[in-house]
Amino acid sequence: MSALRDLQAAMREAILGGDERAVAREIAGDGLEPSARLGIYRHHVFTTLTAALAGTYPVICRLVDARFFAYAAHCYIREHPPVSPCLVEYGATLAQFLAGFPPCRDHAYLPDVARLEWAINVARHAEVIAPIDRRRLATVPVEDMPRLSFRLDPSLLLLASAWPVDAIWRANQGDAGVEPAVDLGAGDVQLAVRRVGDDVIIRALDPASYAFREALRDGQTLEQAAAVALAIDARFDLTRAIHELLDTDLLTDFALSDTPALVT
Amino acid sequence: MTSAERCAASGPGRTGIGLRAPHVAEIMASRPALPFLEVHPENYMFGGPALAVLESVRREYPISLHGVGLSLGTAGDLDRRHLTNFRALIERVHPCLVSEHLSWSIAGGSYLNHLLPLPYTEETLGLFAGHVEEAQEALGRQLLIENPSGYMRFHHSPIPEPEFLAELVRRTGCGLVCDVNNIFVTASNLGLDAVAYLDALPAAAVGEIHLAGHARNDADGLSILIDDHGSPVADPVWRLYAHALRRLGPVPALIEWDTNLPELPVLLGEARLADRLSAATCGDDARVRAA
Repeated sequence: MSALRDLQAAMREAILGGDERAVAREIAGDGLEPSARLGIYRHHVFTTLTAALAGTYPVICRLVDARFFAYAAHCYIREHPPVSPCLVEYGATLAQFLAGFPPCRDHAYLPDVARLEWAINVARHAEVIAPIDRRRLATVPVEDMPRLSFRLDPSLLLLASAWPVDAIWRANQGDAGVEPAVDLGAGDVQLAVRRVGDDVIIRALDPASYAFREALRDGQTLEQAAAVALAIDARFDLTRAIHELLDTDLLTDFALSDTPALVT
Repeated sequence: MTSAERCAASGPGRTGIGLRAPHVAEIMASRPALPFLEVHPENYMFGGPALAVLESVRREYPISLHGVGLSLGTAGDLDRRHLTNFRALIERVHPCLVSEHLSWSIAGGSYLNHLLPLPYTEETLGLFAGHVEEAQEALGRQLLIENPSGYMRFHHSPIPEPEFLAELVRRTGCGLVCDVNNIFVTASNLGLDAVAYLDALPAAAVGEIHLAGHARNDADGLSILIDDHGSPVADPVWRLYAHALRRLGPVPALIEWDTNLPELPVLLGEARLADRLSAATCGDDARVRAA
């Protein structure tokens, strides 16, 4: 058994869980309680991780105010400490945590705002991938087009919510104290979050366009994705939708599925 | 020429600064004369826009990768995914220096985002040396290992920190970062003699010196220094730096400033000050020696 492993496990417990008994007897106080010396390390761990979460979730922080955010973050860090030293990856599960966090029970929209902020974080750091080679795409015979499947820009994230989270997010940008009123009963939204240049853009989509992108993202063929969109809205314009994907560089690669086209 | 000498030889002066996001545009627009810029590799491991920016900076300045996440002191396996990502970053930016810390951050799969203290025992030495060798092999580079700031010591820690570092160098061939501010902070917090600490380091292994500001906190009536990288380098740390230069010679130095980030000229002023001290103490022959 490794003494060092035991010591580190005890120190982890002292820092995250607060039970210092096992590690305190290993520490020389040198004029200070071992607990106070441990507290120096604990303070750094919690303040820097709280700052990392506040950086990823600025709107949540503003909605609940900074003091409550620090309290919620403290609880979250104890239960869900980072597993990687790359802190832009930290906080993926904050939305689920807030959904089950009793003090947030009266603010049912908070978890979805957190999901939106996480999507923005992922979009911001997603890999930079070149758009599709249009000349290569143009060589696909017309009759094979229904069997096309695509890879989408990894900075595109799709998010549906029963709350107007895009309006909530926008109302909480800029200077504090000038928040426009948001109608929480405005109905559900289907959003596309995507990095464009140095910015991350949030765009509301109609249900058919949302379902079309979702189907393509999940690897369905053009024909299958079109069927999904048309089932939602018979007026869905496939040609226009494809042009829009191309014109906004949303497609990065394509493949032809082996399944023959269903419709001739 | 060693990698440390490449850092110092590649440009004007010997003192680089940490590259922090708010300063990137100004640095690229004004191109201040600096021998190198330092970044934390953990912020650039995703291939996103941050890496694209770093690659454009790299075309103008050598880069020093100063890791905080390898957790070489963890009693367990190193994080292979992190090592793989680190290696990929090294191949993209060809850093002049790659460094890490004498500390641990990961236990039970949790990353605690701090450079936590180790007991300096034979067990720790064997484990840490094994991890340094494994990391040097995986990264294809010599690592420089930095002395951390200490806020506590363990009852059972029989090997003095500088001796621990010297033995680590002997076993692994790694180099050292001599963080003069950390020595000052540790010595103050743990009642050690900072000059004696510095004199016990193996001088030939030191490839870089770090300088930073610290804060003074009151903890139950006891004054504790906190290595917060949030202010100018303190006067007694400059004096310790002058002593380090006399002992170590003209090695590259770095000004670290992470919290309460000042305007860029303040940071550049600190670097110039370090350069002047270096020139006054060691003469101006650093580049001749490095060539």
